[in-house]
Amino acid sequence: MTSALARLPGLAPHDGPVLGIDAVAIRYGGREVLSPTSFDVSRGEFVCIVGASGCGKTTLLRAASGLVEASAGEVRRNGVPMKGPSREVAFVFQDYGRALLPWRTVEGNVSLALEAAGVPASERPARIAQVLGKVGLVPHAQKFPVQLSGGMQQRVQIARCLAQRPQLMMMDEPFGALDALTRQGLQDELARLVRDDGLTVLFVTHDLEEAIYLGDRVIALQADPAPGRPSLARMIDVPIPRPRDQLTTKEHPEFLRLRRELFSFIEHGLHD
Amino acid sequence: MTSPRAWHLLRPWIFPAVLIGAYEVYARRAAALGSDALAPPSAAVNAFVGAAVDGSLWQATAFTLGTAALGLLVGALLALALGVALGLSRRAARMGFVTIEALRPVPSVALIPLAMLMFGFGVRMELAIVAFATFWPVLLLVQAAVLQVEPRLLEVSRALGLSARERAFKIVLPAIVPRLFVALRLGVAVALVVAVTVEIAANPNGMGYAMMIAQQSFDPALMLAWLGWIGVVGYAINVAMLALQRSVARRMGAAT
Repeated sequence: MTSALARLPGLAPHDGPVLGIDAVAIRYGGREVLSPTSFDVSRGEFVCIVGASGCGKTTLLRAASGLVEASAGEVRRNGVPMKGPSREVAFVFQDYGRALLPWRTVEGNVSLALEAAGVPASERPARIAQVLGKVGLVPHAQKFPVQLSGGMQQRVQIARCLAQRPQLMMMDEPFGALDALTRQGLQDELARLVRDDGLTVLFVTHDLEEAIYLGDRVIALQADPAPGRPSLARMIDVPIPRPRDQLTTKEHPEFLRLRRELFSFIEHGLHD
Repeated sequence: MTSPRAWHLLRPWIFPAVLIGAYEVYARRAAALGSDALAPPSAAVNAFVGAAVDGSLWQATAFTLGTAALGLLVGALLALALGVALGLSRRAARMGFVTIEALRPVPSVALIPLAMLMFGFGVRMELAIVAFATFWPVLLLVQAAVLQVEPRLLEVSRALGLSARERAFKIVLPAIVPRLFVALRLGVAVALVVAVTVEIAANPNGMGYAMMIAQQSFDPALMLAWLGWIGVVGYAINVAMLALQRSVARRMGAAT
């Protein structure tokens, strides 16, 4: 499993999960924010994490991406234990307004990922144009973030992450701060990007419908589980066919059933 | 009647003009009563033109400004490097705290004797004192500025895998530019004050020394001319810094 080749993504087709979360627990100052939680994410899979605020879903995502160190357990990528952040793992933050460099244009912000990865300056313009094309930002390449709407700013952040050509994309409530219409538009855009590029996504949201609409699988966390119990409380598959769309998918009987199941669990399982 | 626009442009100059006129009248009356300590502004303008024509004005101005600028450059660059380090590393800040707090309150002018012993008269001693004086305020402001850098941006740089050097040059330095200008404008003011002070107290060069010589040779008109000129130079530098700050801010995407 952990052969040297497995460390070289692209060279070694790794059969196991891209991401392995193995009994990961996080403690801050004696308080257990995340109780031992385990699950795997396979290549090309879209996994959503839901739960009420304070259940540790963002913490779990940060641990999975190496931004926070797990107090116990292990995070493995392609079977290899992960130490710290990696360029193979992209992270989309919720607060796009703070995650973009205000002094760089759209183009410059995307370029940062390429500079960090050591992409030669001569290759950058083509790669920037390519990812900006994917998120429909080519006409805005020369604008500064303050000149863009919230939805467009979040697209810039997604473009910056795509420019990394990551193996895994971590998204922390990326559409949580957007209005409903913009959110739906970006959900469909993300679903299309994931389908076209075969992305593997771990997606945190507090919006159950968003989780079911986007995910192949939904993981529900509970806050303050009984001692010895994991934070991970439910794991459900979403057998709704793709491509999905805002109207028909959300009236699909399976969608309604899953929403009811998750909703009643969140309602009865946890209280804020 | 003047147009409203002309009135708008004229208005800030009315108070200084009245002050100068009153001083002119007062100094003339004092001179008529036998005092030679004060010169009227009109005499100062004459003395100023004389100094400008014989070149002493430009030479002394170039010396003072050049030395102040070099001293500020040295002091501010060192302060910038150390300030970024202290702002980014809590351990470095703890280690440097006592040293900084012990050295910072030393009045820069108190270093004149030491600097004279070490460097003699001339550019180097003045430069060293200006560098010392500008170092501390810039250091503290840079350190505070780095501590205020949006934490999310530092996290983004970690997630993208930027090296420490890239993080300093691509995230931290651009992020502190607005505050850096505040530090720099303070540094410019300190540099000019300290340079002129050193020239008045010890260094036989520059505008401060020229003013002292005018005073010692009982030439109050020339002394007043220098005083006014130093004020004008200080004002011009401040205006230039503001213009530079605005142009940089525009290029960095602020206030569209």
